[in-house]
Amino acid sequence: MKINAGNLKKGDFILHEGEVWQVQKSEFYSPGKGSALMKTKIKNLISGKNIDFTFKSNEEIELIEVESIEMQYLYKDESSLYFMDERNFNQYAISLNVVGKIANFLKEGCKVFVYLYDERPLNIRPPMNVKLKVIETEEAVKGDTVTGAKKAAKVETGAIVMVPIFIRVNDVIIINPETGEYTGRA
Amino acid sequence: MSYYKIETLIQNKKNYKIYLLVQQVVENFLQNNGYLKVELPVLSPALIPESYLEVFETNFRYLNKSKKLYLTPSPELFLKRLLVSGIGNCYYLGKSFRNSEPSSSLHSSEFVMLEFYRVNANYMDLAEEVLEMLKRISTKVNEFKYMNNQKLEKKTRIIYKKREISFDKWEKISVIEAFEKYSQITEEELFDHKLFLKKAKEKGYQTENFSYEDIWSQIYAQEIEPFLGINGYPTLIYDYPKEFAALAKLNSDGKTAQRFEFYISGIELGDCYTELTDWKEQKKRFLEEKKKRLLAKKINHPIDHGFIRALKCGLVNCSGIAIGLERLAIIFANVDAIDKLKLINVKI
Repeated sequence: MKINAGNLKKGDFILHEGEVWQVQKSEFYSPGKGSALMKTKIKNLISGKNIDFTFKSNEEIELIEVESIEMQYLYKDESSLYFMDERNFNQYAISLNVVGKIANFLKEGCKVFVYLYDERPLNIRPPMNVKLKVIETEEAVKGDTVTGAKKAAKVETGAIVMVPIFIRVNDVIIINPETGEYTGRA
Repeated sequence: MSYYKIETLIQNKKNYKIYLLVQQVVENFLQNNGYLKVELPVLSPALIPESYLEVFETNFRYLNKSKKLYLTPSPELFLKRLLVSGIGNCYYLGKSFRNSEPSSSLHSSEFVMLEFYRVNANYMDLAEEVLEMLKRISTKVNEFKYMNNQKLEKKTRIIYKKREISFDKWEKISVIEAFEKYSQITEEELFDHKLFLKKAKEKGYQTENFSYEDIWSQIYAQEIEPFLGINGYPTLIYDYPKEFAALAKLNSDGKTAQRFEFYISGIELGDCYTELTDWKEQKKRFLEEKKKRLLAKKINHPIDHGFIRALKCGLVNCSGIAIGLERLAIIFANVDAIDKLKLINVKI
């Protein structure tokens, strides 16, 4: 489907220079010299590399229509993450470079939506938040009452998150996997 | 009910104070240099037609009659009238409005514009004055930060996004040099529309059904702007092809006009012209712009004919610059979006 670049939004999949990209960020820009523009950050879904690209806002872009299927996250190795479609047991691999930091917050066995295009897995749909158990963190130092003070905590997937000092080992915390930020206690 | 959000952003108080300080320093600087502050209406029954921007339309109502009014997208139509009448050096600092441009980190449909005109000066004279103004802002902001227990920087330099910017000089580059350096587009290719489009196509840009201006604008934003104002000094990029400076005085080469823009960290902050004083040329351009607006189905507002009549009386030789004050302030507050300067933010 063709759309005007002015309508591009975060998460859209597009064809650009013959390859599939996902929009990470888009901002309308009117420089007052020539046509209005759409400044975007797009991620190449093979290499995982981000680039900045400026489209004319009224230029036609090939938008890719994808399917979003709930799958089970199995495991990861040095290069990829592996998912299984539980309806037919098909397995799919997505490059670690494409998934990015979010991979650090996925627990084996959890359910994730995977975007498919022509039976090809493109990327995962980042969950709004994930709940993970804290497995390592220092005890709060008594008397350390500075508001907003943070300390490092290791969660069950191995990722390190900055948390408020009242968090203890075995607490389950809520994390925004896109930013890696602590958002609350479960 | 349609979506809207009115955010109270008290956490921005510290940045807002820097914004106010920038505003105060700018006003003191201009007034000390002999500029008169001019208060202006923001509602007008007629405007200067500009094809690249859309306006806000409203109605004045009384009894059963109604009159269309427009929010001014720039104070130019009023300031130039005053210049013709002999006001001398003057400035406007206040709101301007542009429709059909969604809010982004660097743009809001209502924004604070600083526009000032200096008589008997060309664009490069104004460039020197702007640099002095930036130095003054830098000094005052650094003093303010020091008073608030932050590290004291050398007074005429600041840190923006971890990069040092000194206001001791401009990094000057012409548009021709910039296209050669950053885009590998030669002077010949830059001015020959056919060659330019061919080169753009080779680079992979969509060129079919687009004008020279459209593609030029895209390449400028994609390949040149990110490199402006990142080498330790603010960058002054000057002498634009005449297609991009219809209200500016032409240079003797006949291809470029006396226009500059200045940038810090890839962000366009100001736009300056040596003003065109030829009213016939202005009138011609008005009609062309009006035609383009009609074709693009933009709001068909009345043309301000009084403006042309005023120019017929003779606009003095002068230069004018427009600076987005909020954009300028984000540099000194070291934040990445104008929303971070605001105490109240309306999202529609």
